[in-house]
Amino acid sequence: MNSTDTNEHKVIITGIGGQGIVFLTRLLSQTALRLGQGVVVSETHGMSQRGGSVISHLKINGSDAPLIQRGSADVMIAMESGEAMQNLDFMRRGGSVFVNSAEGLRESLAAHLERLNIRVLNYPATAIAVELGSPAAANIVMAGFVAAFSVLDLPYESMVQTLEQISKKGSEKNLQALEAGFQSRRKMLADPQDALENSG
Amino acid sequence: MCSMSELPMTSQLITGNEAIALGMVEQGCRMVTAYPGTPSSEILAGVIKYKKRLNRDVYTEWSVNEKVAFEVALAASWTGLRSAVAMKQVGLNVASDPLFSAAYTGVKGGFVIIPADDPGPHSSQTEQDSRLLALTAKVPVFDPSTPAEAREMIRDAFELSERFKIPVIVRPTTRLCHAVSPNEVDESAPDEKIPSVKFQKDPVHWTATPKLRFKLHVELNQKLSDIAAEFSNSKYNETIYAESGGGIGIIASGVAYQTARQALTELGVRVPMLKIGTPFPLPSSLIENFCASVETVIVLEEPDVCIELQIADRKQVRGRLDGAVPNAGELTPEVMFSVLHKIFTEAGVQVNAAPEDGELSALIKTLSLPVRRPRLCPGCSHRSAFYAMKRTFGPRAIYPGDIGCYTLGTNLRAVDTFVDMGASITMANGFFQANRLANDERVIMATIGDSTFLHSGIPPLINAVHTGARFVLLILDNHTTAMTGFQPTAANDYLADGSEAPRKVSIPDLVRACGVGYLKVTDPYEQEDFADILKEAQAHAQSPNGGVAVVIADRPCVLYDKEPILENPLPVIITEECDGCRFCTEAFECPALVLRADGSRVDIDYSICVDCGQCIDACHKGFIVPKIAEMVG
Repeated sequence: MNSTDTNEHKVIITGIGGQGIVFLTRLLSQTALRLGQGVVVSETHGMSQRGGSVISHLKINGSDAPLIQRGSADVMIAMESGEAMQNLDFMRRGGSVFVNSAEGLRESLAAHLERLNIRVLNYPATAIAVELGSPAAANIVMAGFVAAFSVLDLPYESMVQTLEQISKKGSEKNLQALEAGFQSRRKMLADPQDALENSG
Repeated sequence: MCSMSELPMTSQLITGNEAIALGMVEQGCRMVTAYPGTPSSEILAGVIKYKKRLNRDVYTEWSVNEKVAFEVALAASWTGLRSAVAMKQVGLNVASDPLFSAAYTGVKGGFVIIPADDPGPHSSQTEQDSRLLALTAKVPVFDPSTPAEAREMIRDAFELSERFKIPVIVRPTTRLCHAVSPNEVDESAPDEKIPSVKFQKDPVHWTATPKLRFKLHVELNQKLSDIAAEFSNSKYNETIYAESGGGIGIIASGVAYQTARQALTELGVRVPMLKIGTPFPLPSSLIENFCASVETVIVLEEPDVCIELQIADRKQVRGRLDGAVPNAGELTPEVMFSVLHKIFTEAGVQVNAAPEDGELSALIKTLSLPVRRPRLCPGCSHRSAFYAMKRTFGPRAIYPGDIGCYTLGTNLRAVDTFVDMGASITMANGFFQANRLANDERVIMATIGDSTFLHSGIPPLINAVHTGARFVLLILDNHTTAMTGFQPTAANDYLADGSEAPRKVSIPDLVRACGVGYLKVTDPYEQEDFADILKEAQAHAQSPNGGVAVVIADRPCVLYDKEPILENPLPVIITEECDGCRFCTEAFECPALVLRADGSRVDIDYSICVDCGQCIDACHKGFIVPKIAEMVG
């Protein structure tokens, strides 16, 4: 089943324990709920959170089963390139992978991914968060960047409202991080030479 | 709080554990007890959250272990109040003694037990199925397939429990506990008055002698047969009719039901389904009617066989018992798809191919990506304790371990065994006696955490002292139950809801009271002193009047209380001379020590380093040095 022709979105959000995967997932899922969409999320808890791989499955307007079947995710948001590669088999043909990385995925993958029509967008969210003076907010910078694309139908303005609602502290810094991510896309569009989009 | 809470009725994203908690609070449950364990740990925290938000009077506690939790809540039920107890599945083993007894005695106020199962397993020592324990103990079970259904089942479980005066289990699994979905929360609902109840003496039930127990057993069997009849009309057991492809029908329960439905969509087929929400006592007439309507029945359930086992005539049944479904492990979407794909194809039904054809997963394998196994956190004091222990007693010593974050000491080869809560001490005890018979004089050094020691360590310690075992017991006291999210222990000065504890229990006093002749409390960050004390403890254990020697490694969890490190930071650098020998990355295994991709040297990942300085001793060549020394130099 391909979910391109419905308003269903299957999203894999992944990284390493400590990178704020759970918060990033909450930001996206709460925004979808705010927009009246159906939401089912599966989170990682317990031992794996101790420095291990962390993965969230987010289904917007999807089935009640908690997990996404490999080969059917529309979008992946990876806070680390190793975890992005480890979970590539979740992607459907024509899906989009957002990776927090300047270098991107291994070169040996490029030809395969192009053939499968899987688009990879490398974006240095951590570097931008460090520039902003809030290195821990790389997950939110990433969310802002994703919001600049239409892949999830989660508009930036709604994400801002959610962030204001769910940030316990440092909401100002979080909003700055979200905006920085969102503006990056605009800057890229202004510069057609930008090679951030590898394919598709 | 956020503006949403001002609205009386709101749709909120909450976890399955929170949905269960919400169900308890809104159904007038007045006592919830628990011992933390993944995947159940957030249930009690949820009860505390909702009792505050809904302004309900509910007594909550993190009990010292699951048996204690069970019995405390049972007493509340015997007064007539609604009560509940939550734990992970192996916790129900600890509480199985009162479980079996309470099935016979019965209850008064609604009494609901939540054992969270862990198909996989993801964070447990077994994949045991609490539904099978319920079957053995003769207690009815609800098996929810979504968080919203779990919340509804809590309501009906209380009602059933009160009507039949029987304990009732609601059994969630990991994926349900950790699923997040919208739930309507009505924060304006008024608190009904706490029912005016009084414990009434009832010797026929509360102190039943064996003769009466026989009668209670007969009564229990009658209750179960009445409940089975009721369950055949339960809305949780639903037949979903469809044209059957290949004469196939599916019986499924819990999360497996939802995963099966998703797989059928991916396969592009529809078949009749019987969703079972009450696997015990099984409504057999529903099962028989369903089986009669199709040629082949596939039973899909987790983690083991409960429904399939109860179907007497299994000629037409495919499942975990005949190997059509793997006989262990989680029914992930991929496993579910491939099981159904095979059965349908064999029956000549045309189905879609798997969305992932294996190309990408094969490609990923060729990348030889690093496996990120869970590790102790940067700055974790357990690492320092393990490192000193290993340097002092070497690889020949026997290191019985226990259940907690520090089980990860197995990465450092500082944990040689773990069985269940408290077994480090009993295993050390048994190794000592066995080794004595076999003339094996190796050092035995057991490790156990503070919460685990309080949970199940004290009777083993008394046993070891009294029978003259000789070993060193290292209690890794990080002042909290770290692995499951920092729940307080009896040694903390606060309670589950954050209020002040009337008294805290002293671990050193408990150790002394067990008759231990050697006890030292020390900071594992002082590695030299710590190693000297370990040697002294070992010498005591072997001395003529020796026995069990106890060392308490006293330092708070770095995630729970950063103060001691923040007050004395010791930033380090790795000098140019580092040759990438990997000693530090393997023997010390701090996530902040990172070997370069080309293997040439180790760098410090300052984004996660906490400046504890503990790795200075982890380079025997002296290439990890304090930053200050470098600056002064």
